[in-house]
Amino acid sequence: MNKLSPYIFLSPALFLLSLFIIVPMLEVVYFSFMRYSFFGTSEFIGFGNYTRLFADSNFWWTLFNSLLYVLVTPVLMVVSLIFALSIRNSMRSAKVLRLFFFLPVITPIVVVGIMWKWIFTEESGLFNYILSLIGVGNVPWLTNYPTNVVSVMILTVWRGFGYYMMILLAGMALIPKEIEEAGILDGANPFQQVIHIILPNLKPTLLFIFVVSSSSAIKLFTELYVLIPGVPMNNKTLVAYLYRQSFERFDFGYGSALAVVIFVITSVFSYANIKMMERQ
Amino acid sequence: MMKYIRYCILVIGAGIAVMPFLWLLSTSFKGAEELFAYPPAIIPSVIVWENYSGLWNAVPLGIYFINTIVVTIISVVLNVLLSSLAGFALARQHFKYKQTVFYVIVASLLIPKEVIILPLYTIVLKMHLADSLAGVIIPFVVDGMGIFMMRQAFLSIPKEIEEAGIIDGASPFVLWWNVMLPMTKPMMATLTIFTFIASWGDFLWPLVVLKSPEHFTLQVGLSYLMGTFVDNFRYVAAGGILSIIPVVIVFIFMQKYFERGLFAGSGK
Repeated sequence: MNKLSPYIFLSPALFLLSLFIIVPMLEVVYFSFMRYSFFGTSEFIGFGNYTRLFADSNFWWTLFNSLLYVLVTPVLMVVSLIFALSIRNSMRSAKVLRLFFFLPVITPIVVVGIMWKWIFTEESGLFNYILSLIGVGNVPWLTNYPTNVVSVMILTVWRGFGYYMMILLAGMALIPKEIEEAGILDGANPFQQVIHIILPNLKPTLLFIFVVSSSSAIKLFTELYVLIPGVPMNNKTLVAYLYRQSFERFDFGYGSALAVVIFVITSVFSYANIKMMERQ
Repeated sequence: MMKYIRYCILVIGAGIAVMPFLWLLSTSFKGAEELFAYPPAIIPSVIVWENYSGLWNAVPLGIYFINTIVVTIISVVLNVLLSSLAGFALARQHFKYKQTVFYVIVASLLIPKEVIILPLYTIVLKMHLADSLAGVIIPFVVDGMGIFMMRQAFLSIPKEIEEAGIIDGASPFVLWWNVMLPMTKPMMATLTIFTFIASWGDFLWPLVVLKSPEHFTLQVGLSYLMGTFVDNFRYVAAGGILSIIPVVIVFIFMQKYFERGLFAGSGK
């Protein structure tokens, strides 16, 4: 009984993870080599789906857009770093302030989409009104490519900076006090302290943020689904294309090949993440 | 001087974070004619409560709320329970295939939900769980992250406590439930708030699984409302405000544990 107990303890979690995550992943790989649709029979076609995919302009467009969204990563890093540096020495008194910073993080994506859709609306939106005050004309935030990419990026940065700020604060808390004090004794000004002392010591945390933020940028979809549902596919991302092939076109084999490609791209980032964790 | 610059930056940041919420709140109290007013009215000239009652009459909002509460509570309870069972075994027990189990959990963490959503849906269909709350809850109810968090919590308990339990003749189950689980309360709270936020706001998977409005969660219901009520954004705004109140209230009480979780998970 005691020998069996670890297996009994582990079995519910392992069963669920295997059945609902591992098995579907194996199925995706298997389906990607099949002509398989919701309506017809299935047959093995080798790399047929992949050759079709690499000749599909929508694939290249959505791949390009997904990679484009990785540009939010450096922006998020700089913005959250600025706030982390500003808040760090007043951590105890700043609980309410941190609550404000976390509100975007905890808000459901659909509600985030509702808010920003209304802010970006072209005719009577808040954003275009504010811009008109400084003399900028009507910007088509939601309909025009690549402006709508910028809109989704703004939403992503707004939603993420509080989260990454907190991660950076955690990283900063690990910097030994002596190193910082030595810098102050040597007469470093606040700017020099950041460049020469804080940033080099923050490297593992910054790398971690880079990996997490970039791989979620590659997988971006719900943000588009709620903010710019009606735009053409070549304005959208890989996962948006996957969703359409799977749930609107029911082209399961083709969708699976696309899913495998997405998995390979995100795996590069996950691999980097694991390597980093091993080194620490 | 530096202090004031920092203070200004923080006030601006907090303003940017909160502004969209205030704008949504303001919109939810506007009348039809003020909704498209230009320049936009920052504060509604008349507070209109009809958006909230109108929303209540237009969609089965009460049902959406109940469904979301059911999904969230069951997800939280099951995730904390199953993760702590698995985490305990990984941290405190010796068995033959530990390494293999580890690999399975790590593999599950590397697979994005988005990639497997189609075969997962066919599995759920075959299990007759499509268009049901069970179908929303079960597939993602445990995740590797939760297991690793609980494992970490069990690893930090001193060996003496475990040994005292074994000397007293505690069975593995008693050791887990009576002796060690109570000592992991802070981590359970952290996992609770993370799971709560994730389940309350979950969208993509419920959107795929749920077909009939009586099974909709709030987020799925709201997204449909957004699709059908393009001309009446006031209802959508009211729905958005109502749907975030519970998660904000719970968060305020558990902010400490949320922050602790971010501190622990930052690649330390």
